[in-house]
Amino acid sequence: MLNYKFLVDTFFVALSGAPTAILITFVSLLIAIPLGFLLALVRINEVKFLNRFAQVYVSFVRGTPMIVQIFIIYNSVPLLLATIFTKLNIKINIYDVNPIWYAFIVFSLNTIAILAEVFRSALGTVNKGQLEAAQSVGLTNVQAYTKIIIPQALVVALPNICTATTNLIKGTSLCYAMSLKEITLRAKVAANVGYNYVEAYIDIFLVYLIICIIVEYGFKLYENRLRTYKGVSA
Amino acid sequence: MVQTMDKYFNSVYITDSIPKLLPYLKVTFMVVGLSVLFGTLLGFILAVAKIRQGKIAKKFADLYTTALRCTPSIVLLFLVYYGIPAIAKNFGIDLDDVDKVVFIVIAFSLMFAAAMCDVIKTAYESVDKGQFEAAISVGLSDVQAYITIILPQAFVVALPNIGNSLLALIKEGALGYTIGLIDVMGKASLIISGNINAHALEIYIALSIIYWVISIVIEQLFLKFEKVFSKGKQTIKVT
Repeated sequence: MLNYKFLVDTFFVALSGAPTAILITFVSLLIAIPLGFLLALVRINEVKFLNRFAQVYVSFVRGTPMIVQIFIIYNSVPLLLATIFTKLNIKINIYDVNPIWYAFIVFSLNTIAILAEVFRSALGTVNKGQLEAAQSVGLTNVQAYTKIIIPQALVVALPNICTATTNLIKGTSLCYAMSLKEITLRAKVAANVGYNYVEAYIDIFLVYLIICIIVEYGFKLYENRLRTYKGVSA
Repeated sequence: MVQTMDKYFNSVYITDSIPKLLPYLKVTFMVVGLSVLFGTLLGFILAVAKIRQGKIAKKFADLYTTALRCTPSIVLLFLVYYGIPAIAKNFGIDLDDVDKVVFIVIAFSLMFAAAMCDVIKTAYESVDKGQFEAAISVGLSDVQAYITIILPQAFVVALPNIGNSLLALIKEGALGYTIGLIDVMGKASLIISGNINAHALEIYIALSIIYWVISIVIEQLFLKFEKVFSKGKQTIKVT
């Protein structure tokens, strides 16, 4: 039978990891949105060499499991940093670095690739004439993008950005591999004492469910607002 | 304790470990294959529940897909692994001797079913209702109309999404190692712990190459399928 007291107590233990998961998600999106957009522009405009790089990068990230990406970063970045620190005579012990920094790196690199594809397909849906029309009335390229192209592409991209965000939140559950105390690891550690794993995982499940439903609802509201601006298609 | 990169990275370990890992792809593909089979069956039932608009069945299917969409695979995996034996124990059934792989297949089938449910539903809805009516009007039975008219058209629409879901399943399947499955990922962690964690990076790179190649092959395969199956569609449009 379920241990209800443990179930309730551990729910709050799991919930206490939510800020970590949300922080990682937020920082990764903050880094990945501009860089992903740049990468999408590289792909669309077929910038020499960079285009090839972007293709391989996106293909690698989308073609390998998240957990393997985490292990690759977690096993390489500290070594790289250690080498750099010794060369520059910086006295920072690599083992004192908070694993959350590695999480920022892994999830940003991953999300850049995902969003690059999202932005690329969204920009592809905007008619080419829109850019030409904007230029013909005297807007600069930057103005044309910020005022004309991006608002239209955003409406198309939003559901996919929502999916990318929820996947990102779910992905943070793999931070256990970097000994980062987020939702999953906190509840699991609490369960280790009395083997209350069933209760712990029900709590973990509930916390992710609540976060993801709130995020999806938020995106839905924003999408509806954008659609009212667009008017015609609503 | 400061380590230097060149001393600890040796690409020989990458090329050495690939042949050691490859045989374990069998296990990876077995788990994926079974999950696709059961997941598609369950997904189809859920999709029917959503399409038919039966009140309770639709509510349940909606709840199911939302819950599964919001659950990280690793959480679902452990929920199944610890939860099912606990539930069985309440009925006096002892599942302690059941192979781990069973729980892994159950977890990934449940996950794949949620994905397939939405894939099937979207594909079904994309086919014009007039197609079904036209088929009935020329004397086909309901079943014939579904199998010969609706299904082939829906399948073309569903193909890219099936491909994406399959790729996601293969990648998420890597998490089976956390409860002791010895597939290609599980073997990699065994090799690494056998080396007392030395050269972990090279082995993970080897692993990533294997997964990358599989993903590219499957992606290309599905692009081919799409071309083959949508051929008929285009000629219909032209005439």
